[in-house]
Amino acid sequence: MQGNCGLFFESYRAEAGLFNTGFQRWSLGLFVALLLLCPLVLDTYLLSVLNLMCIAVIGAVSLNLLTGICGQISLGHGAFIGVGAYAAAQATLNGVPFLAALLLGGGASALVGMFFGVPSLRLKGIYLAIATLAAQLILEYVFLHWETATGGSRGLMLEPPKILGFSFEGERRMFYLLFAVAACTLAVVANVMRTRHGRAFVSIRDFYLSAEIAGVNLFAYKLVAFGLSSFLAGVAGGLWAHYTLFLSGEQFGIGLSITYLAMIVIGGLGSIVGSVMGAVFMTLLPEVLTAATRSLTGVFPDISSQLAALREGVFGLTLMLFLIFEPEGLANRWRLVKSYWKLYPFAH
Amino acid sequence: MKKTFVTMLLGLGLSLALAAGGCGGEKKDDAAAVKPGGDIRIGGIIDLSGPTSSVGVPYAEGVKAGAAYINANGGIGGAKIVLDVQDDAYNVQQGLSIYKKFAQEKVAAIQGYGTAVTEALTRMAAKDEIPYFSASYSAHLTDPKTAPYNFFTSADYSTQVRAGLKHFKANWKEARAPKLAFLYPDHPYGLAPIPAAKEYAAELGFEIVGEAAVDLKAIDATTQLLPLKDKKPDFIWIGGTTPSTAVILKDAKKIGLKATFLTNIWGSDENLIKMAGDACEGAYSLQAAAVYGQDVPGMKALMETAKNQPQMTHYVRGFVSMLVMGEGLRQAAAKGPLTGKSIKAALEGMTDFDPMGLAPKVSFLPADHRPSMAVFLYKISGGKLAFVAQESLERKAEWLGK
Repeated sequence: MQGNCGLFFESYRAEAGLFNTGFQRWSLGLFVALLLLCPLVLDTYLLSVLNLMCIAVIGAVSLNLLTGICGQISLGHGAFIGVGAYAAAQATLNGVPFLAALLLGGGASALVGMFFGVPSLRLKGIYLAIATLAAQLILEYVFLHWETATGGSRGLMLEPPKILGFSFEGERRMFYLLFAVAACTLAVVANVMRTRHGRAFVSIRDFYLSAEIAGVNLFAYKLVAFGLSSFLAGVAGGLWAHYTLFLSGEQFGIGLSITYLAMIVIGGLGSIVGSVMGAVFMTLLPEVLTAATRSLTGVFPDISSQLAALREGVFGLTLMLFLIFEPEGLANRWRLVKSYWKLYPFAH
Repeated sequence: MKKTFVTMLLGLGLSLALAAGGCGGEKKDDAAAVKPGGDIRIGGIIDLSGPTSSVGVPYAEGVKAGAAYINANGGIGGAKIVLDVQDDAYNVQQGLSIYKKFAQEKVAAIQGYGTAVTEALTRMAAKDEIPYFSASYSAHLTDPKTAPYNFFTSADYSTQVRAGLKHFKANWKEARAPKLAFLYPDHPYGLAPIPAAKEYAAELGFEIVGEAAVDLKAIDATTQLLPLKDKKPDFIWIGGTTPSTAVILKDAKKIGLKATFLTNIWGSDENLIKMAGDACEGAYSLQAAAVYGQDVPGMKALMETAKNQPQMTHYVRGFVSMLVMGEGLRQAAAKGPLTGKSIKAALEGMTDFDPMGLAPKVSFLPADHRPSMAVFLYKISGGKLAFVAQESLERKAEWLGK
């Protein structure tokens, strides 16, 4: 490939490759290596933000698979994360090893997700949104009232995860676990996109009738999309449960579902890089706003109580400005930046 | 292509192994949270925005006033309290990252607030050994077996409702059993005291005639109240926040439901009177702190700190929470370096600390973090919260955490 100007492909297989150039491969490798070295330099607070990002990345990429790639909107994603969290928590509380519990959580969430995905055969767009909203509300009710499984209003207490006797206690160890799972999730979703199944998802999103005529089984593929997306959401939930060590139904409210939707809209619908960027952005935004109010407290004491109300406004405003000026999300901006530098300084 | 992939995988594996080698977990830092003579940093994780901010803001102001009062009166053995209140917007994730920031900065203790965030941080506060005061009075936070570093200064929700029931029963004159109904939101906070209330009501000889869920954001409660009207309850428990309480009281007046209402600590304050008008006249409420202007020894100090601006009862409660924390800090500082452990030990040795009459006396035990078994009962009369009685319960071991 060296010595060629630009990119050209001799087979579809090559075009669908994850990396088109060696540069991409090496820069990603370098990026990952740098991330892996982060825990050696960062303090626990910054690490905790990174950890939250890892969980958010898994949740966002799973929702993007369903909403961005397969075109099925879901307002119940927060609750699906909750199902995985409770299932994984119950599994480890009953002595199941952590990794198996994580998969069990994902499995439980996949089943629930597929069940609530059944209406997607008949419902589209806003109607599906309402149907999944119902899933969110029903599941929230279950979290609060199924006391034997969820602890009801008292919640569940957990121990840090242990794999083969190695306890992932503390931010630093947790980071490696969360990072590894997040990386695996991204690899899985990126590879699903390259298969005929991934293309079937995209065809359903683009126009369901053409997809059906081309031979895509709409019902099966929509259910698989719900199942896979909820599975990954359940994994995110299992990780969240074992990261915070305490579960209560309030953590998986409608607010969480909306946050995840905001992540993928900001990041870019249908883009994996976009999901990551959206997750990072939405996790960082409140931190940046908090840091800003804190640094201002030095100059104007007592400003935090006044700015607190403003902060929600700033948050909303940022989202709105994003939708106006970056309607295709951060992923698109990133693409533009890349293509600018690719030809720099001789853009033509 | 395959080759580069393999090298990449190898590289990844290598760096992972390297990182895992260097990852010994965080070192436990046993150094004192505060250097001798330095300022004492206290973190605040309180809802200044979001759904509960209408009570969170006055509570936070009260906590700040408490710190200012302590500092103006000699501080903690000469050291000043530096309070840093941050907004968690009733969001667990935000609360979590603010907590991590405070833990990183090694604050001596934390003044927290709502149930969701407090509970989510229970395990972490215990691991990091940071005493965590909350304004979530869920009974299970009083059991040191599950929440060893959690403290609060009001009687827990279950104790509160028990005290209210005890008061009503003691003043019940008729021969028949008093009839009781429950209205509460289908929410962890609303559900928490219900099992305790039902059990104790049955024990006291109340007849429970009905219960219904009224949402915290309800704008109408007639559907829940109409069936209750036929059952003629004498007493109705309202376990919500002020907006839903106002809705219930107004609708009860509208449909002519006559009963004595009892609201919990967050369901009744100075705002309720503005929202419900004369519909709230005669309603009882359970409080854990005096109201502004009440004739108690500490009121003068509080009014001076508040610059004579009338404040809500939540403010007084925040003030008391800081006073109790300050007393714990003072006792710990007198014995040696301030660490999470030493502050916890000092708090657990606290017996009958009087927060200047602003709240019932506070005691903690190593195996029992119930601050007090006493509750203030108030009645709304003439558009004001009027003090009725202080009701006390026995410190029964089987009630701990329930």
